[in-house]
Amino acid sequence: MKVSLSWLQEYVSLEGITPDELASTLTLRSQEIENVYNLVEADTLIIGEVLDVSKHEKADKLSVCRVDTGKDKLQIVCGAPNVAKGQKVVVALPGATLAGGLRIEKTTLRGVESNGMICSLSELGIEYKYHHEDGIHVLADTAPVGEDALEYLSLNDTVVELDLTPNRSDLLSMHGVAYDVAAIYDRKLKLPMPEIITANQDNPFTIETDTEKCPSYYARILDNVTIAPSPRWLQARLIAAGIRPINNVVDITNYVMIETGQPLHAFDLETLTSEKVLVREAKQGETFVTLDEEKRTLEEGDILITDGQKPIALGGVMGGLDTEVSDSTVSLLLESATFDPRQIRRTSSRLDLRSESSIRFERGVDPEKTRYALDRACAFLATYAKASIRNGVRYFDNHKRKKRIIPITLDKVNKVLGSSYSVNEVQNVFDRLDFSYEEKEGRFLVEAPSRRVDIQTYQDLIEEIGRLKDYNELPDTLPSTVSVGALSPYQQFKRKIRSTLSALGLSEAITYALREKERINDLTRENESPVELSKPLSKAHHALVLTPLTGLFDVVAYNKARKQESVHLFEIGKRYRKNEEPERLGIAMHGPYHPRHWQKTPPTDFFTVKGVVEALQKALRLPELDYEKTTIDNYHPHQTAVVKAGDTTLGHIGKVHPEYAEQYDLEDVYLAELAIDKLYSVAEKDATYRTVAKYPHISRDLALVVDADLPAGELLKTVERTLGERLSESRVFDVFTGKTIGEGKKSLAIRLIFEAREETLQSSDVDADIERVVEALKDTHDARLR
Amino acid sequence: MDIQKRIDELETALKKELENVKTMNDLQNVKSKFLGKKAEISGFMKHMKDLPNEEKPAFGKAVNEGKQRLSGLIENKREELRKAAIEEKLRKETVDVTLDAPDYAPGGVHILNRIVEEIEDLFVGMGYKIKEGPEIETDEMNFEKLNLPKDHPARDMQDSLYITKELLLRTHTSPVQVRTMLEYGGKKPVKIICPGKVYRRDDDDATHSHQFLQIEGLVVDKQTTMSDLKGTLLTIARAMFGEKREIRLRPSYFPFTEPSVEVDVTCANCEGIGCGICKQTGYIEILGAGMVNDFVLRQSGYDPDVYQGFAFGVGIERVAMLKYGIEDIRHFYTNDLRFNTQFK
Repeated sequence: MKVSLSWLQEYVSLEGITPDELASTLTLRSQEIENVYNLVEADTLIIGEVLDVSKHEKADKLSVCRVDTGKDKLQIVCGAPNVAKGQKVVVALPGATLAGGLRIEKTTLRGVESNGMICSLSELGIEYKYHHEDGIHVLADTAPVGEDALEYLSLNDTVVELDLTPNRSDLLSMHGVAYDVAAIYDRKLKLPMPEIITANQDNPFTIETDTEKCPSYYARILDNVTIAPSPRWLQARLIAAGIRPINNVVDITNYVMIETGQPLHAFDLETLTSEKVLVREAKQGETFVTLDEEKRTLEEGDILITDGQKPIALGGVMGGLDTEVSDSTVSLLLESATFDPRQIRRTSSRLDLRSESSIRFERGVDPEKTRYALDRACAFLATYAKASIRNGVRYFDNHKRKKRIIPITLDKVNKVLGSSYSVNEVQNVFDRLDFSYEEKEGRFLVEAPSRRVDIQTYQDLIEEIGRLKDYNELPDTLPSTVSVGALSPYQQFKRKIRSTLSALGLSEAITYALREKERINDLTRENESPVELSKPLSKAHHALVLTPLTGLFDVVAYNKARKQESVHLFEIGKRYRKNEEPERLGIAMHGPYHPRHWQKTPPTDFFTVKGVVEALQKALRLPELDYEKTTIDNYHPHQTAVVKAGDTTLGHIGKVHPEYAEQYDLEDVYLAELAIDKLYSVAEKDATYRTVAKYPHISRDLALVVDADLPAGELLKTVERTLGERLSESRVFDVFTGKTIGEGKKSLAIRLIFEAREETLQSSDVDADIERVVEALKDTHDARLR
Repeated sequence: MDIQKRIDELETALKKELENVKTMNDLQNVKSKFLGKKAEISGFMKHMKDLPNEEKPAFGKAVNEGKQRLSGLIENKREELRKAAIEEKLRKETVDVTLDAPDYAPGGVHILNRIVEEIEDLFVGMGYKIKEGPEIETDEMNFEKLNLPKDHPARDMQDSLYITKELLLRTHTSPVQVRTMLEYGGKKPVKIICPGKVYRRDDDDATHSHQFLQIEGLVVDKQTTMSDLKGTLLTIARAMFGEKREIRLRPSYFPFTEPSVEVDVTCANCEGIGCGICKQTGYIEILGAGMVNDFVLRQSGYDPDVYQGFAFGVGIERVAMLKYGIEDIRHFYTNDLRFNTQFK
C-alpha cells in the first residue's frame, strides 16, 4: 500500500512528524515500511509559456523555443516533437535536478544556447505506465506562468510504502492507515461525510442475488455524465497510490476504493439490456470477456454480475469489456458490493487475475463502508463529472451485523506478555484505537469494529496492546520451564558420522532433493518410481531423489570441471518416499586421496572408499562388515559390492561405470551409500571393555594357491569358522598371480594372529590349529599350500 | 733390548698406520697386526723368561702398559669411525624441511549444518530437545492445523510445492511442532527446536532458494510469556552474532502465532549506525516469532486456557550469509569445494 502523505493529512494531522520519523514509527508499531520517497524527485520546476518555436538549423530533431517563465524570457532547445507555440509547459531552470539526479545547466546544443529544459512527465520521475505520454507534458491553458509546477500539478507529495501483512486488510485503505496513525500518535481522526443531492427521477433498478457469495450489493444510477480528465490533485493522488489516471469516472471509483478500501465498479448504463442486476454463480465452462479483452473460461462457483440476461462483470475481480465506461458514456450504474473472500481468491488465482479490487475482496472489506463508498463516489461524480444522481439506492444486504464482543482480562494480558500494565494503560490503548469497551475490575468486554476484520480473539487484542505499547519495552526473561536438554542417541550417531568423515578428509555437501525425473534411479541400488511434484518447478527440479548419490555425483562433476583434483564428499540425505524418508549416507570419492604431491600417492581405487567405510565401521562400533560382489546399473560390473552386517544389508559401494562417468566428463568415481537407520540398528550402543592381553601374540603366515575367482573374504571366513575364539585376527597381506602359480589360479598370503589371553601361548599350541586350518581350506576351497 | 724404546716405536708406527685407517675392516687388520697373536708385542712375553728376575717386573709392566696404550689408540679410532659412520648415515637422511607435507587436510561439516549444530548446542544447553520430522508433509500438518485453511490469503506467503492434493513438501518445520505436541498429548510442557530442510516455490537466484534450512523453536507451558520469547531471542542473537548485539521486535503476521513479530538484530557491520549491509537502517531482519495461536494449541491437543507458548523460526542460510558476508545463497547448494572448505 502506497500512502500519499498529503492525502493522509486530510484525515489526521502529521504536524511535527517527518516522513522518516513516521516510517520508523509505523515499522515499530504497525507495519514494516518498505520505502519512503518523494513522488517527484526534482526541484526548481516552474510553469512556462512557449512564445515561439523555430527549427534548429543544424539538427532536424531539435527546436529552438523562446519560453516565458514569468521573470525571464529564455531560449531553450527542446527535442520533443510535440512542442508548439502557445503551450504551457514545465520548465526546469538551470540549477534544477531532475529524476535520476540529472542536473540542468545552461548549455550549448549544436551551437545554440539553451537555458533550461522543457520536461516530460517521465523526466520528472513519473513512470511511463502512469501517463503514457511520449513527449513533453502540456499543461492546461489556464496554468499560471512563473508558478511552481509541482505544486500546480499536486506532485509535491511524499509516499510511504507499507509492506502489508495479509491480516491487515484495513490498511488497504487511506481511512485504515489514518486510524492506525491516529492511534499510534494519539491524534484526532476526521473522516469526511459524503453529502449528495439527488435528482427527482427515481432509480428504477431491482437488485437480486442467487448466491450467498455476494452478501451485499448497492447500486445507484447517474445521468448526464461528462467524461473528462480528473482534476490534477486527484490524478496525482492516484499516481502516488500506484494507479494510472484514465478519466474522471474510472478515477473516482479508484480514488474512493483507495480511500475507503471498498472497490467500486461503474457500468455504462446504455450497454445493459434491462433494469435489473442479478448476481449468480457461473456455470462450468461459461465464457466471459473481461475489460482487459481476455476471454475467460469460468468454473462453477465464480461470481457473475449479470443484467438479468448477460454477464456484465466477474464479481469482485474485473468488469466486462462490453459494459465498460467509454468516452461516449452518458449514464452509469455504479456498483458497491461485497463478495465471499475465499471465492474471490479462488477465481483470481485460478485466472491469474489479481486486481486492486480482488486483492481487497479476498482479504475482506468493511461491510459498513459499502454504502458510504457508493455515496462518496457519487458526490465526487456530481462535482467532477457533472453527473446527476437519481433518487434512491437499490440494494440487498444480507450481512449479519453481529457485534464481535471479545472478553479479555488485564491478568491475561500481563500473563501472556509478561508485562505489568495497569487498567488505565490498557484502556488508553483501546481509546486510541477507537475500540468501544466496557471495563469492570480489570475485566474488559471489547467490541471489535467492523473495519478491523482481523480482530477476532483476545489474542488479537493482546497484539494491539503489545504493538501500541511497543514490544521492545517488555523485559527480557527466559522460560521458567525446567527440562533436560539433549541430542537423542540417533542424533548423536549422525553427528559422529559427520565428524568421522570430516576427520578422514571428506567434505560435507548439501544438494537439492528435487532433481530431473529421468536421473533419479541412475545410481540407486533398488529402482523405484520417485515421488514427483504435481506442478514441477522446472525440468531440473521435478522429482525427489532416492539417494544423496544423485547430487553428490554432480558435485564431483562440477568440481572436476573446475580443475579440483581431489574431490572427496559425503552427504546425509534421504530416500524420499511418500510414507517414509529413511536417511542415507552418500560418499563420493574422486582423485588423489591424501595426495603426497612430490612423493608417490597410492592411486584412489575401490579400496580407498572401502577403507573409509571400514573407518566408519570402527568409529560407529559397527560389527564386522561383509562385502558381497554384486551388479548395479551404471556401476562397474566387477568393482561393486553390497555391504552387509550379518543378514542386514547396509548399502553398497562401487565404482561408477566408466561409460556413465564419461557422459559427465568424469572417470574413476567411487561411491558408497549406507542406510543410516540400519547402521544405527546394528551399531553397538556403547563401547565394551575387554582386558588388554598381557602376553605377546603369535603370528603365522600361510601362502595358499586357490582358484583365481575365489573371494579372499570366503577364505578368511573359513579360517575364522575353523578357529573360532582362538584366532584374534586374520588378513590377506599379499595377492599374486603369474605363470609360476598356474593358469586360473592365484596365490593368497594370509597372516593369522593368535592372542593368548590367559597364559603364554606356545608355538607348539598353534601348530595343531594351523594343521586344522590347512585341512579345512583344502576341503572347502581346494586350497593348497604353496 | 730396550723394551720401552721398542714399545714407543710400535706406538709411533701404530699412530702412523691409524692415520690411514678409513673403515672398521682396516682397523681390524691394524689391530691384528699390532695386537694379534702374531703381533710383535705378543711375542715380548716369551722373552720374559730370559730376563734376570729383578728386571722381570719392570719388563712385564712395560709390556702390559704398552698393550693398553696400543689398544687404547685402536679403540679411540674405533669410536671415531663409529661416530663418523653415524654422521654419514644421518647426513644421507637429510630432508628439505621446506617441502610440502602430504595433504591430510580434514574435510568439514557443511557450513549450514555447522550453524545448525551450534544453534542446537545452544538450545540443548538451555534444556531444549531436538525434534525432526518428514519433509513430505500433509496439507493438514503443514497448513490446516497451523491456522492456514485452504484459500487463506497467508498461503501466498509460502507458495508451496505439492505432490498430490493433500501432500506437499513442507514449507516450514512447524509441522514438527504440531507432531510433537500431539505426541505429548497436551499434557506436559514442550521445549523443543526443530531443524530441517524446507521448500518453497521460488526461482533460485542470489537471494532465493527453493530449498533451504530452517530452525524453529517452540515452548509451551502454563506460564510461558512474550517476555520469555524476547529474552530467548536476545540470547540466540548474541550467540550467533556477538555479545554486543541488541534486538528489535516489530509487529508482523503469521497465522500460527498471535501476537506475531519480526525480529531485527543490530547490524554487526556498522554497530547499528546504518550502512550498506543494513540498508541504512542499523538493523537486519533475522527471524519471525510470536505467541502460539490458541487455534494451533487446540488443534494439537493443548488447552489454551491452561497452556500458552511461544514459537520462532530462523533461516539458516540467512544467518550464514550475514555472519560471513556470503553474497549468493546458491553457493550453499553448489558445493564448490573452494567454497565448502573455507568453513572448517
